[in-house]
Amino acid sequence: MRKFSTATAAALVAAALVLTGCTSHGATNSAKTGGTLTLLTSASTVSLDPASSQNLATTTLGLLDRRLTTWDVQPGKDAKVVPDLATDTGRVSDGGKTWTYTLKSGLKFSDGSPVTSADIKYGIERSFSDQLQGGLSYHKTLLVGGDTYTGPFNGQSLASIETPDAKTIVFHLDKPFGDWPWIVSMPAFSPVKESNGSPAAYKKAPITTGPYKVASINDGTSLTLVRNPYWSKATDDVRTASADKVVFLESQNPSTTVQNLINGTGQYADAFGLQYLGAADLASVTHNASAKSRLATSQAGPIQYLALNTQRGALKDLKVRQALEYAVDKQAYLVATGGPQAGTLASTLITPGIAGRQDYDLYPADASGDVAKAKSLFSQAGVDPTSLKLTLLTQNDDASLAQAQAIQQGLKRIGITVTLRPDDQNSFYTDVAASNPTFDLALMSWQPDFPSANSNISPLFDSSQIGNGNFNVSQYKNPAVDAAIAAAQAEVDPAKAQADWAAIDKQIMADAPVVPLIYAKQSFLRGSGVGNFFIPSFPAYPDYMTVTLGK
Amino acid sequence: MSAPTDAVDLSARGGTASGRLDLFTQLRRDPWALAGLIVVAVFVLAAIFAPLITAINGQNPYDYNLHALDSSGAPKGWGGGISWRHWFGVEPLTGRDLFSIVVYGGRLSLSVGVLATLVAVAIGVLVGLTAGYFGGWYDRVASRVVDVLLGFPALIFIIALTAVVSANFPRPVLIVLVMGFFSWPSVARVVRGQVLSLKQRTFVVASEAMGAGDGHVLWRQLLPNVGATIIVYATILVPSMIGFEAALSFLGVGVPPPTPSWGRAIGTSVQWFSTDPGYLVFPGGALFLITLGLNAFGDGLRDALDPRTSRRRGILHRIAPRSARTHGRQRKVTA
Repeated sequence: MRKFSTATAAALVAAALVLTGCTSHGATNSAKTGGTLTLLTSASTVSLDPASSQNLATTTLGLLDRRLTTWDVQPGKDAKVVPDLATDTGRVSDGGKTWTYTLKSGLKFSDGSPVTSADIKYGIERSFSDQLQGGLSYHKTLLVGGDTYTGPFNGQSLASIETPDAKTIVFHLDKPFGDWPWIVSMPAFSPVKESNGSPAAYKKAPITTGPYKVASINDGTSLTLVRNPYWSKATDDVRTASADKVVFLESQNPSTTVQNLINGTGQYADAFGLQYLGAADLASVTHNASAKSRLATSQAGPIQYLALNTQRGALKDLKVRQALEYAVDKQAYLVATGGPQAGTLASTLITPGIAGRQDYDLYPADASGDVAKAKSLFSQAGVDPTSLKLTLLTQNDDASLAQAQAIQQGLKRIGITVTLRPDDQNSFYTDVAASNPTFDLALMSWQPDFPSANSNISPLFDSSQIGNGNFNVSQYKNPAVDAAIAAAQAEVDPAKAQADWAAIDKQIMADAPVVPLIYAKQSFLRGSGVGNFFIPSFPAYPDYMTVTLGK
Repeated sequence: MSAPTDAVDLSARGGTASGRLDLFTQLRRDPWALAGLIVVAVFVLAAIFAPLITAINGQNPYDYNLHALDSSGAPKGWGGGISWRHWFGVEPLTGRDLFSIVVYGGRLSLSVGVLATLVAVAIGVLVGLTAGYFGGWYDRVASRVVDVLLGFPALIFIIALTAVVSANFPRPVLIVLVMGFFSWPSVARVVRGQVLSLKQRTFVVASEAMGAGDGHVLWRQLLPNVGATIIVYATILVPSMIGFEAALSFLGVGVPPPTPSWGRAIGTSVQWFSTDPGYLVFPGGALFLITLGLNAFGDGLRDALDPRTSRRRGILHRIAPRSARTHGRQRKVTA
């Protein structure tokens, strides 16, 4: 879930006008026990293949697929990694380079056949295939031989995953990696039957292990899940699976979704929206008492930041980048995002909710910045800010444009001319992750893929993550930081690793490759029939696993 | 050279002093056209003097006023924050003065609308005039091109084009060129039709017989006689161009922010309608008034320049509703 944005609101405003008046109210199930849970998404299709998925363990694919481990999230508590298919979160040996898991007894696929360690190995191998790209890739660089392996479809298998018997699976890593138990909670670590393994067959009719199986797929309209009779609550400590049926309604306009949930009648009573609310929708919910009581807001979590392209023009100069840390108007940015209910001001790279985070501010200033300090840093650098012309890459939806203009007016206060370059969502991610980017500034946001500082830092600041679709958007290269990241990743003792990451956080901010703007609070709206709807401290998304139906 | 009196098709009576006087008298008698003209004049003046007008209460469309917003980013106070400082209230999330945005937005709308119309008319007249006069294979090719462009899904093409063209290319220029390019075929078709009938007239035939070159006939004989048509057509094209630009901005492919634009303001305000209706009303009202004003004025101008309707104007006003007049014209002339 690294790419998160308030959907494509701008492109759809026209449709919103039409749709608000004529949303269908289908037949609803009045019986609350069991019942049908409706999930409203703006995506045109819900992608089901775990090998190409970036899903969090607590969202969509968690309903269908079990992994070796999963997340236990509770309101107000830190997220924990807990066993799912495995009996524990992993037994480490060889100084952190070998991890061994044993499967629970009685695990079955939705077709009744038993789950074996070979099915898990096959599921992981699929994620290396060219046909199944786009998934989380942490394991691909960690497993021995992962850099050259090209997937199981040409008959090859990955030797660094061993399955000595049907219940045991062993992973050999090329370096020690303390967060491995989190890695095996990712979608790619779901078992896949070899007979069901070709991407086309899986897409049409996946055989699953979770509490639900797929009943029907109508791409662009809906996805219907029904109970998997072979799933047993006895082997699953996390999922409660309250509803008998789960329906994803696809291609829903975000504003229309919010209006439907505010009204909350018919099927929208037992429903919630999967996209977080934009500023305008948030304002209309807070002005409606009934709807406001059904709003769940996360604690400050995902970081939104301004990436400074450290390899271009004046931005190569550290003093100039430091001046920008002071020049940006974070207050205007926060208001443009929706005010205090949409986030809090940020100063660190590790986000709140991540264990071991240390709060600090290397560039202390008012919420709206420190213009005088910025100017003095510019004169120290010998750069005239009024001669500086910078291009700011942003997505072209209303929410992003409002945020981009807040940055633009902030930098204008010291005379910098910022030109906006609005991109649609797809070209935006192509352009920011290009190997030779042509922007100076870019507005980015980041939700860690697992609750470890590693996931906050290494994808964004390791020099191996520059270009080729990776997310070191600042083009930040510092060999000392690279070495420190490698050392912290290898640390198996969590307390020691956390201290290392906190030090790296400050080390990077001293180089000012990004301006941290806010830690976003994400708000989700539910219908009146949905219970136990909460947003844990990590991730900033509702926990789909434990929602209930009926008041 | 003034036009001969027997050239009746929307011919250029404005070419003589008495004709021009007549035009203004007629326009003055048409309350719709007069009101339209006044509205347009007000908008044009507001656009030209935008910095002076907004300076009256010390506003501009770029400065943030976060203190005018509540904690959710919505404007504080009645009607979207209307006050003596902010006559139309403020924009949600930024607190920028909405009156300034509307006044400055008029600059973009009017300049893009007028320039795109000029591009369309220039190409359209050139193609229409030459196609009608020369005829033959050139006319057939030009007419087919016109047909193709008239049936072309221009909006989709423009959205795609704005995504492809380099961000360094100035966006207003791109929009003017593209909108002009897709709007000339209708001008060309009308002009060609006029020229086809004009070139049979005795004054053209006489000119040719006296040895006048093609250039002379096109420039001195034909062009002045289609001038009135062109002026009327252009007046009616401008509001549709303004609407086109607003549609592009509404869809997020117009001029990028922070340049104020009515279309973008309308697009953003739709989401805010339940909490802040004023945000939609003012830019939407401005767009509505200017297009209505230009259309009313264009209509009046056409009536005034068309001798066939103007002769019976006084009677028509009393016996026929405005909309029926256009349809009734052909019959009355033949009567």
